[in-house]
Formats: sequence, C-alpha cells, structure tokens
Amino acid sequence: MNNNLRNLFNNSWIEIALRWILGITFIYASYYKIMSPTDFAKVVYGYNLFPEVLISPIAIILPLVELISGLSLLLGIYPRSAALIINGLLLAFIFILTINIIRGHEFDCGCFSTKKAGSPKMMVARDVIYLVMGLQIFLFNGVRKGCFIRLDRKT
Amino acid sequence: MEWNKIIKEIIILLGVSIISAITVNFFSPSGIALVGQWDEPPGVIASKAISDVFSGELEIKHVRIAKQIYDSGEALFVDARSLEDFKNGHIKGSESLPLGKFDDLIEAFEKKYSTDTFIVTYCSERSCNDSHTLEQRLFDRGYVNVSIFIDGYQGWKSEGYPIE
Repeated sequence: MNNNLRNLFNNSWIEIALRWILGITFIYASYYKIMSPTDFAKVVYGYNLFPEVLISPIAIILPLVELISGLSLLLGIYPRSAALIINGLLLAFIFILTINIIRGHEFDCGCFSTKKAGSPKMMVARDVIYLVMGLQIFLFNGVRKGCFIRLDRKT
Repeated sequence: MEWNKIIKEIIILLGVSIISAITVNFFSPSGIALVGQWDEPPGVIASKAISDVFSGELEIKHVRIAKQIYDSGEALFVDARSLEDFKNGHIKGSESLPLGKFDDLIEAFEKKYSTDTFIVTYCSERSCNDSHTLEQRLFDRGYVNVSIFIDGYQGWKSEGYPIE
C-alpha cells in the first residue's frame, strides 16, 4: 500500500464520516423492513434462493441486525465488529444479487423499500462501494472519534 | 488484531439483534409467524402476519374449477389489481375494483351489485394477497358469497382462458 492510500485509510476524519454514512444508511435500510415484515418476507421469497423454513426467520432477524450494527457504527460502540458484520452482510448481498443476475431471475431488491429501484448491476456496484467504506472502518488503526466505548484504543 | 475480542463483540451484537428482533416481531401489530406458507402448490404464499387475512377455505385452488364457475355464468369475477393492470388485460367480463381505491369505488359497486351476488376475487398470481384482502373488505360490506381465485390473472391467462 503506498503512503497516500495508507494515510487515507488511517485518517480519523474519514473514518468517522464513513462510519456515520454507513451507519445511517443501514439504519434507514432497516426501517421499512421492520415496519412491514410481510412485504420484506415476500422480497426474501422472491430471491428464490432460501429454503422455506428460513424465509420468515431471515425477514424477522436481518432488519434488526442491520439496525443494531448501524446504530453501533453511528454511536461508536464496538465499531470494528459492527463494520465486520456489515461487511459480511454486504458480501452476502453482493453474492445473492450476482447469482440472480447471472441466472437471469427477475427479483425485487427490497434493499431500501419495496418499490423497485435501479438496475441490479447498479445495486451490486453500490454494495461494493459500501464494502470499501466498511473495510476502511474495519482496518482503521488510529484513535476513533466520537466513540462511546473506545475498546479498540491503543493504550 | 485481537480476534478473541472481535468474536466476543460480534456475539454480543448479534445476540442483541436476535433478541430484539424476536421481541419486536412478537409485540409489533405487523409481526409475522416464524414459519410462513412459502410453498406455492398448496396455496397462496403468505407470511401469516398477525394482521394477515388468510381465508383458506374460501380459496379456489384449481384454475379448472374457476373456469367451471366462470362458464356457469353465476359468478361475477372481480379484479383486485390496479386499474392500469386491469386495462392491460383481465379475465373477460370481470369488474375492476382496485384494492387501493376500494373506499372510493365501493359505493358505486354496491349500487350495481347486490350483496347476495356470487363474487370471485382475483389478483395477479399466487404470490399476491390482494384478492384475499378484497374478499375480507367485501365481506365487511355485507357480501357474504365471495370466493378467491388464487391463481389470478396469470394462472388464467396461461391456461388460454378468455381474457380481454
């Protein structure tokens, strides 16, 4: 990694900006899913990838994982672990979207609302950008700003 | 990197998420059942939400039977989809009553059709619930003779039955 890139990755202002952007994005994304689990469950069903027994549990639990991870990024509670969870979710989303694009299966993203938005390829591109943001937060090695619990501060 | 600490934190975050998810779902008026109906052949897919209308015994589960009822001429087929979908194609002779405009249109509908009319509601396919909700709304207005054709417009069309 060259020095400029390393500086970017270790800039605490960039870290807090990305953490807030990603945190707010995930809190926002969880909102409609928590408010209308029926619609979200149908979206999960529409991806045509999950066994029947998992559809409802995914629709119930995933939105809260998004909310809690988003909140913990925003408030700076366990930010590194929350970023890891969010990166895991993003990798899963990218994987699921890509599978359905490759096999030409029509689906409703259900990412932010039940209304259809954007082309599937744009959704993948957007998730990759979020993933890079999440990686910066995860790999950041300095003192994080605005954290309630600074467990990862070097002593 | 202290992986032990990270794993512990992830367990805490996921644990809080799962416990709050189950709690929220339990108390939320729009909560859903842990096990839904996600297999199409036995009927309409549904998350079995607390607020869900699920009238299994009123369902017409075979396109063939719906066609027999249609051919008998005794039933009025009512389309629960949007007016736009209706205009793009519907079961021949059916009446449009979009669920989203139910309150605006129901009075005119009531003037046209008495409450003892035999009605068959439908929407687009097995993955939509609008025909079930429409049945419930019509029942609330006094229509007691309503069935639900769950294969909807797509099921009807794919059999090559009359559309317009």
